[in-house]
Amino acid sequence: MLTEEDEDYFTEPGFHLPGTPISNQMLPSLPPLPMQPQHNHHSEAGSPSSEVQQQEWIAERLEGDSRSVKELPLNLSEKRRIRERQELRMRKMSGWNSWMDRQHRAVQRLWEQTTEAFQYTEMWRGSLHRIEGHFGSGVQSYFSFLRFLVLMNFVTFLLVGGFIVIPNMVFEELQLKINTTSPVTTGNQTCFDYNPKRQGLVQFYEYVMDLLSGTGYMELTYLFYGFYENTAVDLKTFSYNIPLAYLITILFYFLLSLVWTVIRSVNRFKQSLVNEDSSLNNYSNKVFVGWDFCISEEQSVRLKQNSLRYELKMDLEEEALKKRQAAQTKLQCTRVYTLRTIVHLLVLALLGAAFYTIYVATGYSQQLISQDSVVSSNFFLGLLVQYLPSIVITAAITILPIFFNIFSRLEKYSLTWEIKLTLIRCVFLRFASLVILLYSLWTQITCNGQKDESHCKTCGYNNIYPCWETRLGQEMYKLAIFDFLTVLVMILLVDFPRRMIVQHCSCKLIQLWGQQEFQVPSNVLDLIYGQTVCWIGTFFCPLLPLLNTIKYFIIFYLKKMTLLKNCCPAKRTFRASSSNFFFLLVLLFGLALSWVPILYSIFVITPSKACGPFQGQFFIWDTIPNAVEPLPQVTKEFLYFISSQAFLVPIFLLLCILISYLVALANSYGQLVKELKVYMQLEGRDKHFLVKQINRTE
Amino acid sequence: MGNKQTIFTAKQLDTYQDCTFFTRKEILRLFYRYRDLAPQLVPLDYTSKPDVKIPYELIGSMPELKDNPFRQRIAEVFSADGEGNMTLDDFLDMFSVMSEMAPKDLKAYYAFKIYDFNNDNYICKSDLEKILNKLTRHELTPEEVCLVCEKVIDEADLDNDGKLSLDDFQHMIIRAPDFLSTFHIRI
Repeated sequence: MLTEEDEDYFTEPGFHLPGTPISNQMLPSLPPLPMQPQHNHHSEAGSPSSEVQQQEWIAERLEGDSRSVKELPLNLSEKRRIRERQELRMRKMSGWNSWMDRQHRAVQRLWEQTTEAFQYTEMWRGSLHRIEGHFGSGVQSYFSFLRFLVLMNFVTFLLVGGFIVIPNMVFEELQLKINTTSPVTTGNQTCFDYNPKRQGLVQFYEYVMDLLSGTGYMELTYLFYGFYENTAVDLKTFSYNIPLAYLITILFYFLLSLVWTVIRSVNRFKQSLVNEDSSLNNYSNKVFVGWDFCISEEQSVRLKQNSLRYELKMDLEEEALKKRQAAQTKLQCTRVYTLRTIVHLLVLALLGAAFYTIYVATGYSQQLISQDSVVSSNFFLGLLVQYLPSIVITAAITILPIFFNIFSRLEKYSLTWEIKLTLIRCVFLRFASLVILLYSLWTQITCNGQKDESHCKTCGYNNIYPCWETRLGQEMYKLAIFDFLTVLVMILLVDFPRRMIVQHCSCKLIQLWGQQEFQVPSNVLDLIYGQTVCWIGTFFCPLLPLLNTIKYFIIFYLKKMTLLKNCCPAKRTFRASSSNFFFLLVLLFGLALSWVPILYSIFVITPSKACGPFQGQFFIWDTIPNAVEPLPQVTKEFLYFISSQAFLVPIFLLLCILISYLVALANSYGQLVKELKVYMQLEGRDKHFLVKQINRTE
Repeated sequence: MGNKQTIFTAKQLDTYQDCTFFTRKEILRLFYRYRDLAPQLVPLDYTSKPDVKIPYELIGSMPELKDNPFRQRIAEVFSADGEGNMTLDDFLDMFSVMSEMAPKDLKAYYAFKIYDFNNDNYICKSDLEKILNKLTRHELTPEEVCLVCEKVIDEADLDNDGKLSLDDFQHMIIRAPDFLSTFHIRI
């Protein structure tokens, strides 16, 4: 019945049923195809008994396959029959094999049950389900990202709280603090003058202002760095060095965030890598993968159909545009290029203006706060001065992208390039604003890096800041609060009114403006910005991860509410997969950015003499060598060796070599893939040719 | 929990668990969804393996499917008689393949069958035209439809026969990471 050639033909491994056109045999009615002469005795169409025989024969072949029954592309009754045959075979097996098999199945069942149980503990599963059903997987990726941030902030807060905040609270309660780790000896008396509490008669509104800007009585709470002391607890059985714990916990906090984000991005990277050439499969993707089978409401379905039609039309128009552009004369080309250069310069000019404003505003605000006269006089004026940097940054972040969008249309790039370029500009804007803010604060705190300047000579840092770390923490605290307030205000004062106006007013202009679309990229960038602020601020404000958790938790519900009530699905669907990895990459960049001020503060700037767990030391990093001192000689030498150049430089060189090897490997795989693609096309042509020959001879 | 139910024998439930991607609870839940479509047709006792088929009109009225432009093809592909009338086995099979646990290659196989309207094992130009019209509700002009079909065949047809075979389709799907999340029905 089965010839040798048949055996060879069907033993290829690989996804779809061994052998190539065997797929034809799975379908009920099939005409005998000239391409498969060997299958003639199988493919007599029409008679049901031969079809059943075929299917049975196929199923027999598949039993040798290592896949589980559920992954076979057969209908359920077939699968049942295969499974029964497997069971029969199992019973014939020896006792040991059948026992192993039973154990294997039991473990599988247990695993399935535990994963099922875990599914119920997944946070917000129902909400994400609903969002996916109405708006598709693009918008759902935003909320999934938000959930990731909530969880990460919560877990990292447990770390920070457990090792910094809770021990301090416990020691405070039990009155246990005894020794100071570094006696404060050197320094002018003015450096030790630190009294944040308001003196005299304090108006009520000043308390509210203190709450919102982290000054006054708020500085003397666990919220800020300045409240922690440079003491250690040294009992007979238990010792706890607070400064050491503070420093090491913060380092572990960053390590945990890094590891978690990298693990998540590696998963997304695997998906994104496969999607290397999305431009090559643009239309097929839209036609075959464009329909989201999760959408279940008539209105959403209609909107999805509209959006698909819009996308296809846009793609066709873009093709036509490209053809026109390729046929352009030289004059038109030069015109387009000069226009693009002008736009780039304009964008740079706008960015420069925004950065300068942020720099000046921060400096001005810091000076006014130090003077304290304007700030205390009037509630609103005081708040304005305190929040001036945040206001300017938020204004820049909101207004400039509008200009970027307008300019990008002038540049006449292709649509994909346009979107990418605008996105890169927005990312750059946000991170650079933070950098400028930090730079401005740095010039204030360290008097532009000159330790000999009049203000900085006495204490090593600007003496108008008795506790400069707390001041930095306050700025981050204010940024976080203002970010949250912005989201709240935008939803209440922009989204809801817009929907009500569009619904009730039938003026044509308003209808053209239309309902709000949920813009995934700008919302995700907002989240990344907020998370970067949290990372920068945690060293100076240990409770910031907790505040961030609560903030993102509330934002989830706010955004979900505004999405479901005020937004319509976007005209251009957002490709979740290719952008997921990009946004995680931006998040990692934010993490790297946040290390810079922390490491600089730890290694270069003199810690405040009047407050904080590192008072009296020359550098914050000194805690580590001081802690290593009392260790036994062997451990000490080992640790010194690890941190010395003799060890680090070879490791660094080794890593460089490893990276270049991996890059070369990746390149060679890329080449191999290209060659295989060409080979596959040639194969196709050969097959076509041979079929023609066979038909001619027949 | 599952031991108290009398709809299926333990062996039947085990078989369903092995042959689909669902757990016991989900299988029972799906049975109730199936029964809700036609309570008078579907008995509560499946231990005797009754031969019950729910007609396509009722299947197509399920909330998960009623607005899907491909619901008829989906029902036809998964039903044993090819007309869309589904037994419980077909029903479970369909949602198992469309669930999030099914692997990509299995989904790609069934997606190919769904998109092959004339059942000739190739997605030819007429199939593509039907797909496009269903996707855009006939709102593209015929020239645009023609252009898009040509572009799709250009992009995906590797053996240059003017239509897409299962291999071409799968090769294209491998490079589409969104496929797993879009070719998915939650129930």
